[in-house]
Amino acid sequence: MRRSLNINPVPGAAAAEALPRIVAFVEEMAELDDWAPDLVLRSNLILEELILNTLTHGRTSGLSDIEITLESGVNSVTITVVDDGAAFDPLNDKPSPDTELPLQERSIGGLGLHLVRTMAEDLGYKHADGKNHLTLVARAGA
Amino acid sequence: MELAQERDSGTNVISPAGRVDGSNSADFHEALAAAIADDDSRVILDMGGIDYISSAGLRVLLLVAQRLGGSSTPFAVCSLAASVDEVFRISGFNQIITVYGTLDEAKAQLA
Repeated sequence: MRRSLNINPVPGAAAAEALPRIVAFVEEMAELDDWAPDLVLRSNLILEELILNTLTHGRTSGLSDIEITLESGVNSVTITVVDDGAAFDPLNDKPSPDTELPLQERSIGGLGLHLVRTMAEDLGYKHADGKNHLTLVARAGA
Repeated sequence: MELAQERDSGTNVISPAGRVDGSNSADFHEALAAAIADDDSRVILDMGGIDYISSAGLRVLLLVAQRLGGSSTPFAVCSLAASVDEVFRISGFNQIITVYGTLDEAKAQLA
């Protein structure tokens, strides 16, 4: 099954309002297509990190629409996110944090996108028609 | 998000339940901070009831671990669900926060 969810962010309230809708959307798909529990968790995590990153890092100027599309595969789901905000490549534009630093030197910046890049497979980004297009695959199991 | 707590001769065991995401991580932080006292001799966070944590929740754990590290209070987490364990590993959090398999192990070994 393939379904889409559109989020039209209102600056400020955007993140708090978007998250419950994303969770509900993922769970609805998961139920319809009988996803494994860990696939549901991974898909939720990937989408939370991506969407909150878009909504909370000052990239909401000019952003009027985020379209999330999920397509169920065999033990996997292909996730596509298209938004019309400022050009940003979540695969390359923000470096991963140093996950080897000692406790008191660690900071959390960049960790969300690092989780996405590590957990997802077949990641691809392009900027076309004035929009960011991101595609990736979440897979059940190890 | 619910949070249970039990103190036993200086050992503070905090057991949150539910999901920790960007919509409730501020509440989670507030509840955790309130549950930890300056005179706790050890703090154990039993994560057995948490099946989902995003970077927003990791940020809270980092701040709590740094606060306790700053006061040299032993701190550990235990009973991570597989999904939470995966997030810990990818983030390298298992190298900066002590992780035990069970609460009993944490109580017996954290010093």
